[in-house]
Amino acid sequence: MELVQIQRRLVDYTKSLFMEGFLDAQFLQLQQLQDDSNPYFVFEVVSLFFEDSEKLLNELTIALDQPNVDFKKIDSHVHQLKGSSSSIGAQRVKNACIAFRNYCDVQNIEGCLTCLQQVKQECYLVKNKFETLFRLEQQIMASGGSVPTIELGF
Amino acid sequence: MNSSNGNGSMSTASSSGAWNGRDQFPAGLRVLVVDDDQTCLMVFEKMLKTCLYQVTKCNKAEIALSVLREHKNEFDIVISDVHMPDMDGFELLKHINSEMDLPVILISADARKQVVMKGVTYGACDYLIKPVCIETLKNIWQHVVRKKARNTF
Repeated sequence: MELVQIQRRLVDYTKSLFMEGFLDAQFLQLQQLQDDSNPYFVFEVVSLFFEDSEKLLNELTIALDQPNVDFKKIDSHVHQLKGSSSSIGAQRVKNACIAFRNYCDVQNIEGCLTCLQQVKQECYLVKNKFETLFRLEQQIMASGGSVPTIELGF
Repeated sequence: MNSSNGNGSMSTASSSGAWNGRDQFPAGLRVLVVDDDQTCLMVFEKMLKTCLYQVTKCNKAEIALSVLREHKNEFDIVISDVHMPDMDGFELLKHINSEMDLPVILISADARKQVVMKGVTYGACDYLIKPVCIETLKNIWQHVVRKKARNTF
């Protein structure tokens, strides 16, 4: 595939992620922070997020499996996940965390379990989306091209 | 404000022509940022460095406090997350307010009014809701100036 075609594909793909709500404006902030001195910044932050979120999701799974559920601990983990997902612009994960906290507030275990599944699903989905995104970026850079930037307000 | 590392001080920012607060932020502002979440910490650090601030990052409030105690007068402002295990942002804020004269900005994904109120009444000079954008961080130097002005008059 020609470089121009891959670049166009990347732009369209990224736009679709915004349209579908996977990403929000915060992701653009991250992209704007990336420069020649740190060309893999976005990749590094996103990778760090998935490293941490996996741990948090495991902790949440264990915590909800206890005979006496510690809702304070669960709330703390979900809050952290909400904060970190919002920091990378992972909107659907963030929203799933908000719903999760609501069930936590009223100590509804069934609700929490459903929400945990939802958060896991959203993390899984957005992780795949990012992998495709980074793969396209790699293809562009390997062809000697530059990664096109998305303008807000498209 | 004197920066011993010579990265630029407040006076250079205001000396060139008409004051345009929006585009001229003071380089070399010495910031200590505290957050137990490493994703958030990485993003903050990058944003603050892009603002040309001098950044020290920390993932524990207790460590932040001992750094501040050992290196008094080497920081201009502290930015701290609210919800952290062991010592939280409120406790850190209380310690800083009682022991030193530094402006503290609290940051959190928690936008609940009672929590923001707590931050304000405990003496935070600002309370920012995550996710924070770089435009907001470009303006934090105002809190340093404001505090110094209050102390002078």
